[in-house]
Amino acid sequence: MAAIPEQDAHAPAKLLATGTGTAGGLGAPRRRPGGRGAGRRAGPAAARRRDAPVAWLFILPALVGFLVFVAYPTLRGVYLSFTDFHVLTPPKWVGLANFRELVSDGTFWHSLGVTAYFVLLSVVFGILVSLVTAVILHRLTRSTVIRGLILLPFLISGVVAALVWAWMLDPQLGIVNIVIYQLTGHRILFLGAGGWAIPSIAMISIWKSMGYNAVLIFAGLQTIPEQVYEAGRLDGASETQMFRRLTVPLLRPILVMVVVLQMISSFQVFDLVQVTTQGGPANASNVLQMYIYRKAFGELDFGYAATMSLALFVMLMAITFLQLRIARANESDLS
Amino acid sequence: MRIRNLFAIAAAVALATAGCGSGGGGASGAKTINWWTWDDKQAQAYQTCATTFEKANPGVTVKISQYDVQDYFTKLTSGFVSGNAPDAFQNSVQYFPTYASQGQLKPLDDFIAKNRFDLSRFSVGVNSWKYTDGKQYGLPLDWAATAIYYNKDMLAKAGYTAKDVESLTWNPDNGGAFDKMAAHLTVDTKGRRGDQPGFDKSRIATYGTGLLNTGDYIGQTTWSSFVSTLGWKMSDKDNWPTRFNYDDPRFVKSMGYFRSLADRGFEPKFGQFTSGNGQAIISDIDLLGSGKVAMETSGSWNVASFAKLPKVKVGIAPTVLGPDGKTRKVLSNSNGNNIWAGTKNPDLTWKWVSYMGSDACQTMAGKSGTFFPSIPASMDASAQALAGQGVDLSVFIQMMKRGELYPNVVHTNGAAIEAAIKPQLEAYFSHQRNDDVFPGLAQKSQQLLAKK
Repeated sequence: MAAIPEQDAHAPAKLLATGTGTAGGLGAPRRRPGGRGAGRRAGPAAARRRDAPVAWLFILPALVGFLVFVAYPTLRGVYLSFTDFHVLTPPKWVGLANFRELVSDGTFWHSLGVTAYFVLLSVVFGILVSLVTAVILHRLTRSTVIRGLILLPFLISGVVAALVWAWMLDPQLGIVNIVIYQLTGHRILFLGAGGWAIPSIAMISIWKSMGYNAVLIFAGLQTIPEQVYEAGRLDGASETQMFRRLTVPLLRPILVMVVVLQMISSFQVFDLVQVTTQGGPANASNVLQMYIYRKAFGELDFGYAATMSLALFVMLMAITFLQLRIARANESDLS
Repeated sequence: MRIRNLFAIAAAVALATAGCGSGGGGASGAKTINWWTWDDKQAQAYQTCATTFEKANPGVTVKISQYDVQDYFTKLTSGFVSGNAPDAFQNSVQYFPTYASQGQLKPLDDFIAKNRFDLSRFSVGVNSWKYTDGKQYGLPLDWAATAIYYNKDMLAKAGYTAKDVESLTWNPDNGGAFDKMAAHLTVDTKGRRGDQPGFDKSRIATYGTGLLNTGDYIGQTTWSSFVSTLGWKMSDKDNWPTRFNYDDPRFVKSMGYFRSLADRGFEPKFGQFTSGNGQAIISDIDLLGSGKVAMETSGSWNVASFAKLPKVKVGIAPTVLGPDGKTRKVLSNSNGNNIWAGTKNPDLTWKWVSYMGSDACQTMAGKSGTFFPSIPASMDASAQALAGQGVDLSVFIQMMKRGELYPNVVHTNGAAIEAAIKPQLEAYFSHQRNDDVFPGLAQKSQQLLAKK
């Protein structure tokens, strides 16, 4: 019984919509000036041909930039990875020698492990913290000031953030350790002990990127229609249930993007390590980028450094591709 | 929107980094000579020479820059690669062969011949700056040694006299007299000494000795002055060696002893006063100045800073004697002044470098007491000037006169060796590795010394 008046109520609106649609569709060609109309009628292929020069003109700057700053360096990097190159003397082709060295280089594999550990910590905890922050923000406040404040650490340069944290974590003078010493009577060598170095750097990295990720997720949250939550509330779902069953699944495309971005940037961590520990103590925080930098600029072994960069590049590509495939990032449950 | 924001930020970041790279280009127009050092105090000391030089050469500016030693050599290398290295710079023997073999250093022989520059004015360090091709690549800037600096009041309170430190002996088995003194000088937060019952090694107010357990692969101001009294030598040959003797039983035993010092609480633990990269957060000077340590080995270049410490009276003693009670061996190092092969003003740069190597400049800068001039007359002048300020250099001068100094080994591939050895030594001192690490270190050094 209830369905019939509803149908009735919708019927005129639908009619109205199609009505205006048809009117517009019929009216439009009549209003068009002759010249442009004729061009359109000549067929889409011709139009594309005429637009092509302009299109190229617009694409050109980006294309030149890509060729000069991305394609050429990448190809040269690939070439250099097959050479013995010390920058100041011309590269010498050595075939697969660098790759053979890579396979048997214990420090490389150790660095890879250290990097993976760092990525794991900073992605898992970083995303968790950002997600919770974003959801709380979304539920509690619309204030742009607070959203801006959350973003602040991201705006600080990595070097500055690392320096300030290194001072705060200092075993003798740092405020964090002074508090810990008052409470426990011991000091923690956050950046000076092998077991602590990577977790400490991951913590700094999370602190720094948290705001940025939270803002991205926050934007994603705003795309979820309010009705979904209303329906949830009607069905008696609790706040945590709605978070787990509604928010997270509907956020998937955004979350996947944030995870991929965070993962790539974590794999490429360098500034934080360079400022806080320079890979020490005893190689405990010698991430791959650090090792590559040392080989290249410290020991002038640019050929081998290029080989390692290439290996990292291939790994990152593979990981990103897999992630996108597994997470079906291009589909959304919203539609 | 999101994606666009992302690109905007990425573009901003790229622009910002691009902005960083473009600074500090070459000289043009009015001529500027860039000179680099890693020592902040020497940068200040040589500024007086720079000012005089600028007055004598109108239109010339000498720009002295200082970068911390941890970043100095990577920054220099990046400068070579990108073409904006300084015209001339202070260099360490450790990095000299690498730079010379890469063609980054200008041989000075032609300049020396043309100017009739007399190399015999330097009493030490000239040969450290001769490369395998027989050419002279640098002028010695200074010479340096190591000594024991101690807190006079703490020593007196513990019942020791200056004579006790000056004739201190040690051995790698139980540390000997040195160990007894370090233990007795260590005080925990409740005031108990290291050799007294109830001593709490986890809560230390003052450590008996400063850091000896560092990853420095030559142990310049730390373990080298101990181990070398045993007859141990760093390498198989004095110059251009093929192997470092890290696996010598005397060396292994000594490292074990230094590690035990920290385990027993008489020496700071590895990483306690250093950051993750082994860099001192609290300098040697402040460690002694703040009463954290009672005595420590440190470089001669710190002598003036130690003397100027407020509140703490610092005594200087020569380094320890070996188990035989008479052998003392101190590593001496001469830094050099090099000219970059890529300099745009080679003649002017030589003028500056040769002026720095002159009696006049060395005497002027040496008065600061931040380094010891390689020219004897300047050294005397600087010793005299410092004596007037209450800084006594006699310990160093006597060590030199008694022939207790030995020069640093000139060898290839310093950067690579450091990168390979340091983490391993650090792992040993932080108990992640044990004696089995040492044969590997010797092997690694052999491999890297052979690499061209």
